[in-house]
Amino acid sequence: MIGLEIHAQITALNSKLFCSCRGNYRDLRPNSNICEICCGLPGSLPIINQKAIEYSTMTSIALGCKVPDKIMFYRKNYFYPDLPKNFQITQYNVYGISSIGIDGKYELDEAKQIRISRIQLEEDPGRIVYSEGGMNVGNTALIDYNRAGVALIEIVTEPDFTSPKEVRQFLNKLSLTLEHLGVCDTLLEGSVRCDVNVSMNGGNKVEIKNINSFKEVEKAINYEITRQSSVYNRNLNIELETRHWDDKKKITFKARSKEEEHDYRYFPEPDIPVIVLGSDFVANLKQRMPELPNQRFERFILKYKLSEHTSNILINDKKLADFFESTLKLHFSPTEIANILVTDFKSLIEDDTESTDYLKNLKVKPEHIAELAKLIEGNKISRITAKDILVKIFESGKLPSEVVNSSNSYKIADEKTIMDAVQSVFDTEKSAVEDAKKNREAINFLLGKVMKFTNGRADPKIAMRLINSKLSDPEKQ
Amino acid sequence: MTKLDDLLAYEVVEGLTEGQFTAEEYVISILKRIEEVEPKVHSFITLDTEGALSSAKIIDKKIREKEDIGQLAGVTVGIKDNISTQGIRTTCASKILENYVPTYDATVIRNLKENGAILLGKLNLDEFGMGSTTEYSRYRPTHNPWNLDYVPGGSSGGSGAAVAAGECTVALGSDTGGSIRCPSSFCSVVGLKPTYGRVSRSGLISYANSLEQIGPICRSVKDLVMMLNIISGKDAMDNTSMPSSPITVPNKLNKLNVAVIKELITGSDQEVAKSVFSASEKFQEIGFSCEEVSIKNLHYALPSYYTLASAEASSNLARYDNIRYGFDYPIGEYKWDTYFSNVRENFGEEVKRRILIGSYVLSSGYYGKYYLKARRLRSLLRLELLTLFKKYDLLIGPTMPILPFKFGEKIDDPIKMYLVDVNTVIANLAGIPAISLPIGFSNGLPIGLQIMAAPFEEQKLIDASYELEKVIHIQRRPNSI
Amino acid sequence: MISKEDLEHLALISRINLTENELEKFPKQLDKTIEYIDILEELASDDSINLDLQELRFEELRIDEISLSDDKQLNKNITDDGFLRGPKMK
Repeated sequence: MIGLEIHAQITALNSKLFCSCRGNYRDLRPNSNICEICCGLPGSLPIINQKAIEYSTMTSIALGCKVPDKIMFYRKNYFYPDLPKNFQITQYNVYGISSIGIDGKYELDEAKQIRISRIQLEEDPGRIVYSEGGMNVGNTALIDYNRAGVALIEIVTEPDFTSPKEVRQFLNKLSLTLEHLGVCDTLLEGSVRCDVNVSMNGGNKVEIKNINSFKEVEKAINYEITRQSSVYNRNLNIELETRHWDDKKKITFKARSKEEEHDYRYFPEPDIPVIVLGSDFVANLKQRMPELPNQRFERFILKYKLSEHTSNILINDKKLADFFESTLKLHFSPTEIANILVTDFKSLIEDDTESTDYLKNLKVKPEHIAELAKLIEGNKISRITAKDILVKIFESGKLPSEVVNSSNSYKIADEKTIMDAVQSVFDTEKSAVEDAKKNREAINFLLGKVMKFTNGRADPKIAMRLINSKLSDPEKQ
Repeated sequence: MTKLDDLLAYEVVEGLTEGQFTAEEYVISILKRIEEVEPKVHSFITLDTEGALSSAKIIDKKIREKEDIGQLAGVTVGIKDNISTQGIRTTCASKILENYVPTYDATVIRNLKENGAILLGKLNLDEFGMGSTTEYSRYRPTHNPWNLDYVPGGSSGGSGAAVAAGECTVALGSDTGGSIRCPSSFCSVVGLKPTYGRVSRSGLISYANSLEQIGPICRSVKDLVMMLNIISGKDAMDNTSMPSSPITVPNKLNKLNVAVIKELITGSDQEVAKSVFSASEKFQEIGFSCEEVSIKNLHYALPSYYTLASAEASSNLARYDNIRYGFDYPIGEYKWDTYFSNVRENFGEEVKRRILIGSYVLSSGYYGKYYLKARRLRSLLRLELLTLFKKYDLLIGPTMPILPFKFGEKIDDPIKMYLVDVNTVIANLAGIPAISLPIGFSNGLPIGLQIMAAPFEEQKLIDASYELEKVIHIQRRPNSI
Repeated sequence: MISKEDLEHLALISRINLTENELEKFPKQLDKTIEYIDILEELASDDSINLDLQELRFEELRIDEISLSDDKQLNKNITDDGFLRGPKMK
C-alpha cells in the first residue's frame, strides 16, 4: 500500500501566501525577497492572499474534493532555523474541517480511482544551505528566507496505490492537471516535493521524505519496496520510521528524527479569522476556471471530431494542444493540423520537452503550420513535400510559402510533366512494370518511383491514374 | 497659568493653535517634569529627548507657516514598549529583545505621526505584557505616583504612571486581560480597551493575539476620544481589524440603562464596593436607570483566560531564538536547538511559566480538556453578555477587586497575582469594549469604575464616562511627587 | 501532578532552559495553575455554540500583487553573499 503527500508551490501567484513579497524567489540574492511578515518580525501579522484561495479551490475541484463553506488556518508549532516564526501557518482537520478540500477522488486510467484525503493551503519555510557542502557535523547553517512564506498546496492521498507504476501515472496526470489549471509549473526547480509512505504485507508504514521531483518518486518507491521485501524475507520487522531519499546515491536511509516529539500543538491561527467562501463560490469558480484535461479531451473529440488517439496525444502535452488551438484560430482545419502536429511536428520537438518554454523558443509558430495546412489542402504540395518543408521552417523560421517558392517544391499537377516522369520510370524499371501487370500491389512501388523522380511533387492521384492507364494499355509502354 | 505639563491634550492643541505657547516650550516643560519625577516613578525604558525636541521644532515651524498641523498636533505621547517604533529600540521589557530596533512603525504609530503627535519614548511594562504590576519587567518596576510604595498596576504600568505623573500628556497601552484598565484604575487615569478589531494590531508585539487590543490612557475623557479616533480603523496590515465610526464628545445628555454586575461587587474589597455604589448613585442622579444583574459563567472566565492566553503566548513567543534579532549572545559552537534553549533561558520567570502552561494545554491529549473548553466558555460568555446588552446599554462594576497593593505582596504566588484580573478578563474574552474611569480614593489609593458596552458601542461608554467625569471631580495630579 | 520529568519535557518542547531555582519551584507553581484551570472540566463538551469574533469574506482578501520592501529586516550575522549565518545543525 502506497500513499502520497505532495507539496506543490502555487507558482502562478505573484506574491507570497501571507505577504506581498515575490512568489518567485529563484535566482535572487539571498534574503533580498523578504519583509517584516515573512521574516516573522515581532508585531507583524499574516495577510492572506485572495488568489491563493482561488487556485487551491480550483485544485480541490479538479481532484473531486468537497470544498467547505468556511475555511480556517491553524498553527503547526515546532522549532527549526528555517522557520522564521517557529511555527508554520497551515490547515488541520482533526478538530473540525478547516482545509480547502476533503474527500476527493481522482481517476487513474484503468478505471481505478485514488481517494484524496485532503487538500490544504500552507506556507513554505526558508532554505538552509550548509557551509562546506553538506549537513555534516560541524557545519554552520546558512539561512535564506527568500522562499519563506511562498504558498504551498498540500495534497494527501489515501494509501490506494498498489504499484510504483500507478504512482507515476498519477503524478503525470496530476502535473497535467496542475498545468491546465495554471496553478503550478511542475518543471520549475523546487516547485514540487513528494513524500511517500510505503507499507507491505500489512506491515508498518515507512515514510520517505526529501524526494524533490516527481521523476525521483518512482525510483524511491522501487528502492524501498526492494528494501522492505528483503527485510521481510529475512523474517525481520519493518520499523515504523521516517527515511530520507538520497537522490545521488539512489537509496533511502534512516533519518534521525527531527523532533523527538511529533506533537505540533495545533491550534487555530488567531491572526486570520474564519474565511467565508459563500455557497456560490464553488459554482462560480467552476464556471470561470480553466478547462481540465478530461474536459478538453471531450471537447476535442466533439468539436473537432478528432480521434481519441490523436486527442490523447495532444491533451497530454498542454503546450502542444495550445499551439494546436492557436493554429486553428488562423485556419480552421482540425484534422489536417492535428495530423501535422502529432506526427512530424512532434518528432521534431521530441528532444526538447524538458524546458518549460520549449514551444515558445521555437521558430515555428502557429502561422507556419496554418499556412502549411492550407498548402496541403489546396493541393499545392504533397504530404511528402510537406514533411521536408517542415524541417526547413523549423530551422529557418521562414514561412512555408517562402520555402516552397525558393525550392521550387510546388506540386506538379500538370499531366504532361507527370506523364514524362511515368515514362521515365517505366523505361528504367522494366521488371517492376512486368510485376505490376500481374500484381496490382506492385503498382505502389512504381508510384513511389514516380514520386521520387519528381522529388515528391507529383500529384499522387494523377500519377496513379496515369500509371494504371499505361499498364493496361500495351500501346503506351 | 497651568503648568504646561499639566494641560490636557485638547488644551495643548488649542493652546498651540492659538499661539499661547510654543510646542518647544511645552515639550521642555514635559521634559523638566520627567527629570523631576522619573527617579521616583521609573516609567520610561527609552526616552527620546532629542527626537521629541526636534519634532516640537518642526511643529512650531508649521504653525508659523500656517500649515496643517494635525489633530494631535504637538501632544506628547508615551508608547508602551511592546509597540513597534521604527528606529527606536523596542524591548517588551525583556532581555530577549534588549537590542531589538524595529524597521517599521506599528500602524497606530503611523496614525499618531500623521496627526502631528510627538513620540516621547517607550514606557515600562511587565515583560511581554504578562503581569499586573510591572514587577515582571526585567528593568525595574514602575512606582505608583499616588504612593511610591505601591504598584502602578500592569502590564501597561509605565503608561498609567507616566500619564498620572504628568510625564506625558497621553499614552498608548495594550490590554490582553486588563493591562490598560488595571493601571488606569490604580493610577487614577482614564483608560480604554477598544472592541476587539477596532484598532489595528499590526506592530503590537503579540502576547495573546485573540484577546488583545491597543488603547489610549489619558487624563480626561475628551482626550481619550481624540486618541481613539486617531488610532481606530480597518487596516490592510491586520486581517482581524474592522471598520468603525468615529466617536464624538457628547453635547447633550444621553440617558442610558446601566446594570451593576453582582458578582463583581461581592468579590470586591469593601472600600472598592462603596465607591462603585456611590458612582452608580451618581448615574441615577443624572437620570440613568440602574439595576443589578448576575452573570452565570463568570467563575470560569479567569481560568479560560489563562488557558487561552498561555496557549497563544507559547506560540507567539516561539520566534524569539536570537537568530534574526534579539540581544547580544554569540552563536559560537552551539548546536541549533541547544542555542535556542540557552537563549530562551533569558526569559523572566513569569514568561517561562506561561509558555510552559501554554505548551501543556496545547499538547495532544489535553487540547480538548482545557483549550477547547476555554474557547467554548468564550462563546458562552459572549452570548450571555450580548443578551444582557439587548436590555442594558452598559454593564458596570469595579475595575479592580482590590485597592493598589505594595510591591512584593503578590509576587510569590502566581495565582494570587492572576486573581487581580478577575474583573477585567471578561471584556477580552467577549471581545467587547471596556473603560476604566477614576471615581475616588481610599487612603490616598485610587479606585476605578469599569464600564462595558456591546461590540463597537464605544460611543455609549464615552457618553456615560463624560457625564460621570463632570460630576465626580477627581484630583488630577498626585501630591506625593 | 507535574513531575520533574514532565517539567523537563515541557521545557524541551518549548526550547527553554530552566535554572536550578526554577526547576525547584516551578512544579508546585505550575501544579497550582493547572489545578486552577481544571475547573473548565465542568463545562460541557458540545460545540453547538461557536461564536467566532469575526469572519472574513473572500471578497475582502488581499489582492495578489507584489510590493517590495527594502527595509533591511535582517542585519545581524549576514555573510557577504547575503545569507544569515545560523548555528550548527548537527
